[in-house]
Amino acid sequence: MKGTVRRLASLGSLLALVGCEPAEQGAMVGPAPPSGDATVEIYAINYPLAWMAERIGGDAARVTLPVPEGVDPAHWQPSAETVLAYQRADIVLLNGAGYAAWTEFASLSPSRLVDTTRGLEDRFVSAGAMTHSHGPAGEHDHADVASHTWLDPELAAGQARAIEGAMVTRVPDRADALRQRLQSLVAELAALDQRLALAFQGWRGEGVLYSHPVYQYLDARYGLAGRSLTWEPGQDPGKGEWDALAARLAEAPAAVMLWEDEPLPATAGRLRAMGIEPVVFHTGAGPPATGDYLALMEENLGRLARFNETVGAGDN
Amino acid sequence: MRDVVYLAWRYLVFNRWKTGILIAAITVIVFLPLALELVLERSSERLRARAAATPLLFGAPGSALELALSSLYFSGESPAPLDYAIVAELGDTRLAAAIPLHLGYRVGSHPVIGTSPDYFPFRDLSIAQGRMLALSGEAVLGAAAADSLDAAPGGGVVTAPESVFDVTGTYPVRLRVVGVLEPTGTPDDEGVFVDIRTAWIVGGIGHGHEDLQDPTASGSVLKRDDSNIVANAAVVEYRDITPENLADFHFHGAEDEFPLSAVIAVPVDAKSGVLLEGRYQSPDSPVRVVRPTEVMDDLLATVFTVRQYVLVAVALVGAATLATIALVFLLSIRLRRAEIQTMIRIGAAPGRVAAILGTEILLVLIASLLMAGLLTGIATAFGDEIFRWLLQSGVL
Repeated sequence: MKGTVRRLASLGSLLALVGCEPAEQGAMVGPAPPSGDATVEIYAINYPLAWMAERIGGDAARVTLPVPEGVDPAHWQPSAETVLAYQRADIVLLNGAGYAAWTEFASLSPSRLVDTTRGLEDRFVSAGAMTHSHGPAGEHDHADVASHTWLDPELAAGQARAIEGAMVTRVPDRADALRQRLQSLVAELAALDQRLALAFQGWRGEGVLYSHPVYQYLDARYGLAGRSLTWEPGQDPGKGEWDALAARLAEAPAAVMLWEDEPLPATAGRLRAMGIEPVVFHTGAGPPATGDYLALMEENLGRLARFNETVGAGDN
Repeated sequence: MRDVVYLAWRYLVFNRWKTGILIAAITVIVFLPLALELVLERSSERLRARAAATPLLFGAPGSALELALSSLYFSGESPAPLDYAIVAELGDTRLAAAIPLHLGYRVGSHPVIGTSPDYFPFRDLSIAQGRMLALSGEAVLGAAAADSLDAAPGGGVVTAPESVFDVTGTYPVRLRVVGVLEPTGTPDDEGVFVDIRTAWIVGGIGHGHEDLQDPTASGSVLKRDDSNIVANAAVVEYRDITPENLADFHFHGAEDEFPLSAVIAVPVDAKSGVLLEGRYQSPDSPVRVVRPTEVMDDLLATVFTVRQYVLVAVALVGAATLATIALVFLLSIRLRRAEIQTMIRIGAAPGRVAAILGTEILLVLIASLLMAGLLTGIATAFGDEIFRWLLQSGVL
């Protein structure tokens, strides 16, 4: 009897909420249903993912990277309108590993999100952790992992597999073509891996510096044991940073410094005077001015080869 | 014949109070079961429709009724929480799209519903003013909520804790209204919709404050080293989430363990739904799956059982009322004996007199049926609003 009264009470309050419009219809949600000849609408959050999606998808995918030219996708903050455009995509490719913090605070449907490093967490490289405490919440960590995962070609291949898996669910009829293109891409990434390994051979003893903490996966993959600074290519680091570098060099010498972009001539000159050769190694986070990701890596390999020839390191 | 009707009419008009009471009594007796049937029929149709439009619901183990009522109608207490990990788990099955729901907080009397953008096309909700949710800190209001909160795009609303006894330190958060939904006549009209992460911030799982690594925050910092910063409790936590301070917000703990009230699962097809249901049917499963239609059918079965009793009671009262009305007419004939004798003396045939008395009864019955029909018509057109008003005003 008590249960019946409770049920009736529930119904009473429900009837107060139920309006007078016609019966509701359940609607299809999530990405559009799989179709043999449909094109998958893909939005990516950085260039390597967009490039891999284009390579794998071919004519089955329409890939968009709405990050404005010259803006680092890792620190980009899209407008509300751009987020709404992301919402309409069939697949939104995330890099994972905390890359592009804006995705944490954008309203995106889990059914459309593909975290391309999900399942690869054991390969993540720590970027240090900061703990803070205040008030009744007590101590809490802001543990951080390095986010430029694609710089390890093996990890990039894992991300490519995740992209292919997501696309196959959308266009299952094209699974064979997608798989073939994935295999071709994975083979190219493996070749890139081999060439980078050769180029970095012997660098461990050289003492490697990074202008920015973005090379952790390159460092981990090829055992470079380098150290990161936070120098901007277009800015003079300032006396404090130069002094700090001199102190560091006194502890552990360095012969090469990888830069995301060409440093100022004055900075490059002063580094050379300190016995450090600046070498540009583009991460490819944003789209290159010409060519594609592999072409960009080819340019990087060329610069590494020139450095190796100069100092007689590597075997490229 | 016209004279018979005329005399019957004049009698009824002359005895208007008696006539009115008779008509009212018969009207009520006819109208009550009709109205009860109608309201229950239409309401159950609507309740079933919302349940039928929600294929599967996932929640923590507990009452299926509570899970369905809170997730479908935002009514009653929030169910026990389940981990957000279930959303990824359902996605991995590739059998269904998962729509998370976080409930429990309110803006005034309106429920704050944390969800994902998939919820809106799923419920066929479209924007009447402004735009859809895009960033944390934004809210889209149901039509009724916008009316009652007097809020429009560009304005703001402030959340309140689930209970006045909530001493866990969840602060009110100001939400920026960016859109108002078209009215649908469903519980969605009452909702304040936010992104799931905004709901977690409202619940205190995420917060934003000045960057403690920033040298300008030194006023609040008690101790600082390479990996740890200790600040005093005076660190100002943001109560507004704006595009400018969004980057200063962060969550504590693993996202997979963040709480949800329920997850709506929309299977790819019927077979996928059955497969999915089968996977979570184990009694040891930490997640409960229910089909809302079955829960609502159970609830309505109880209601319809009670309805049978009510109808029997109404029938008995109706029979008693009709017997009383018959008695009233018989006593009335006895009281009108002198009047009837007068009619016979001035030449009315006994059959004529019987016709006048019969016509009086007939006119009362016709008037009652017309009144009952009129009320039923009104109930058909405005029954839901009337019933809703009666319930909300505490009359029922």
